[in-house]
Amino acid sequence: MSGKPKLGILQQALGDEETGRLNAGTKILLALVGIAVVIAIVRYIVGLGATTNLNDAYPWGLWISFDVLCGVALAAGGFTLAATVYIFQLRKYHAVVRPAVLTALLGYILVVIGLLVDLGRYYKIWHPMVMWQHTSVMFEVGWCVMLYTTVLFLEFAPAFFERYGYKNIRALIRRYTSPFIIAIMTLFAAAMSHSVLWTAIVFAVLGFLYMLVARGALREDADTPLLLVMAGVILSTLHQSSLGSLFLILPHKLSALWHTPMLPIMFFVSAVSAGLAMVIFESTIGSKVFRRPLELDVLKGLGKALPYVLSVYLLLKIIDIVARGAVDVAFTMSAQSILFWIEIMVGIVLPIALLLSTDVSRSAAGLFWSALCVIVGLVLNRLNVGIIGIKVESWQTYFPSWMEFAISIGIVSAGLLIFTAAARYLPVYEEDDPEIARERRVELAAAKE
Amino acid sequence: MAAKGILIDNTRCIGCRGCQVSCKQWNKLPASKPEFFSGPGYQNPRDLNADTFTIITYKEVEIGGRFEFLFGRLMCMHCNEPACASACPVGALEKLKEGPVTYHASKCIGCRYCMMACPFQVPKFEWSKAFPLIRKCTMCSDRVLAGEIPACAKTCPTGAIAFGDRSQLLHEAEDRIRHNPSVYHHQIYGKDEVGGTGVLHLSRVSFEEVGYKTDLPARPLSSYTRAAMSAVPGVVVGLGVVLGGTYAIIQRRMELAGKAESSVEKEVESQ
Repeated sequence: MSGKPKLGILQQALGDEETGRLNAGTKILLALVGIAVVIAIVRYIVGLGATTNLNDAYPWGLWISFDVLCGVALAAGGFTLAATVYIFQLRKYHAVVRPAVLTALLGYILVVIGLLVDLGRYYKIWHPMVMWQHTSVMFEVGWCVMLYTTVLFLEFAPAFFERYGYKNIRALIRRYTSPFIIAIMTLFAAAMSHSVLWTAIVFAVLGFLYMLVARGALREDADTPLLLVMAGVILSTLHQSSLGSLFLILPHKLSALWHTPMLPIMFFVSAVSAGLAMVIFESTIGSKVFRRPLELDVLKGLGKALPYVLSVYLLLKIIDIVARGAVDVAFTMSAQSILFWIEIMVGIVLPIALLLSTDVSRSAAGLFWSALCVIVGLVLNRLNVGIIGIKVESWQTYFPSWMEFAISIGIVSAGLLIFTAAARYLPVYEEDDPEIARERRVELAAAKE
Repeated sequence: MAAKGILIDNTRCIGCRGCQVSCKQWNKLPASKPEFFSGPGYQNPRDLNADTFTIITYKEVEIGGRFEFLFGRLMCMHCNEPACASACPVGALEKLKEGPVTYHASKCIGCRYCMMACPFQVPKFEWSKAFPLIRKCTMCSDRVLAGEIPACAKTCPTGAIAFGDRSQLLHEAEDRIRHNPSVYHHQIYGKDEVGGTGVLHLSRVSFEEVGYKTDLPARPLSSYTRAAMSAVPGVVVGLGVVLGGTYAIIQRRMELAGKAESSVEKEVESQ
């Protein structure tokens, strides 16, 4: 007879499995989330001026540059791994797909939450759905993020059904996901092109593929239909690059070190590298926190691909800076140029050098630290493009207020806590098959008595 | 009504700031607290803000041994192809065919992309409000559409602010330069900047010296994003074909490899 005390929901989700005690780290994260919630309420009551240091010279600050730009780029592991496993059929990486998709799903949901705090008229966030200004890059970003979050939700849903059943809903989703994808992608094409012809072509291409699958000419995983994964890759490619395109219209306001017609390509390539690095990073951390074996083989594979992606980015960057005649700006001492060089050296050159050495690329620690360099470089790049590289008059300055930091930190903390809870309740990791888990619990209970 | 414009002749301006006052009166804007700052200006406030749609800028320079004021005018330039209208995701900013670039508050989501995009840094934000709006000069579109002239043009005592069809104002500006070449700097600010603007300026000395932004491209800023945006449908189709094709090819290869294995097994068994 077990005298287990009745545990609150927090203890059940995040506390020790036996006693329900929350460890210190979890308590800190919960506190950070609590502070952020209070500050968000304050922000809604008194407005942005009283809670942030944003001003007319810097209308975009930490929340856009970090929460949105970095949040989206660091969630790129979702589409890169999904493409690797489900389109390129490299099944070796199957073990890390689901955690990557969950990271991405949480990342995007938190980006939306960050936006709801940053937008001045947040209660109108739905406007781009019905007010179409298709020449605006932000319109495209909004649509893509909205649709891709839906895709991620559908890609992660099987984990929920594996654990909790609901076979009839699962069957419904399996049946209608592909037609739903065709519908939303066609609508998206219509909104973006304002052309009947393009809309028809998109519908035809996706419809043709759907027909091939329905006829059995193409086989697909029942829970992860081809069209779902394809939509994920297409939407991700579009908005990862479009976040860069946002800054195309700012030749007057963004430093020559970062403003280039190639912004969309640069943002996309760096997002791919950040996605791979994030998978290495969160797998390593996850294995420590959840006390699971590390899939070193998988990470080594990612570590092999990473230097290639980074090298492509470096090459593009060099060609771009030289072709635009911005070399002298790069070598002129200024706060911007210093941070530019740190971004390049720490975020690209150092990881390439590290990963080319076999000692590093074969060890878990080496892969982790190289991945961390890439992530730091990516974060710095987005901060550079969004804040540091912004040109203003000499008397105009910006540094985030403590409340801005608190919201951003709270958002990241919430992501970590939700991921932890999800990993406990849902089969996020491959070995967490519900059958095996139940057997293990029975064994444990029997051993106690 | 043909596209209207405004011609600001800084050589006729006397810095009375009547335009600032009448603008506040017509738009019912509160006064801005005086801001003292070091630098070449005496204007108040220092820059446009949510309650100030236009400012006269001051710069004192030495010309021919005498100290003179150079006056400039900060206001929305009502561009022919506004970057703000192109950037706004919900079309809250719109260039009317009558000339003014207007703001539809009901559509605005407060994303502030227009503030980033404007090359003249014109749109300002109501940071102090819980339900903020973007604020900028409207070229008194309500007056203009009713056949009247903007408040600032009506008030100016020296005729420094002229209102009319943009094309006519352009001719007028060229005439003034041609007939008084020593009085004017030979440039019409706004003729070609970022694709041409509805508000044109004339000056006694170079615009850079007065404090105007002079490093702007001649093409409209929206042209910088056109290529990227028009590529979107193509990317959807292209990636759809490439990904679908790759998937089909890889699957076919795996099938063939599977068949080859099993046929080899059958051969081995049959022997």
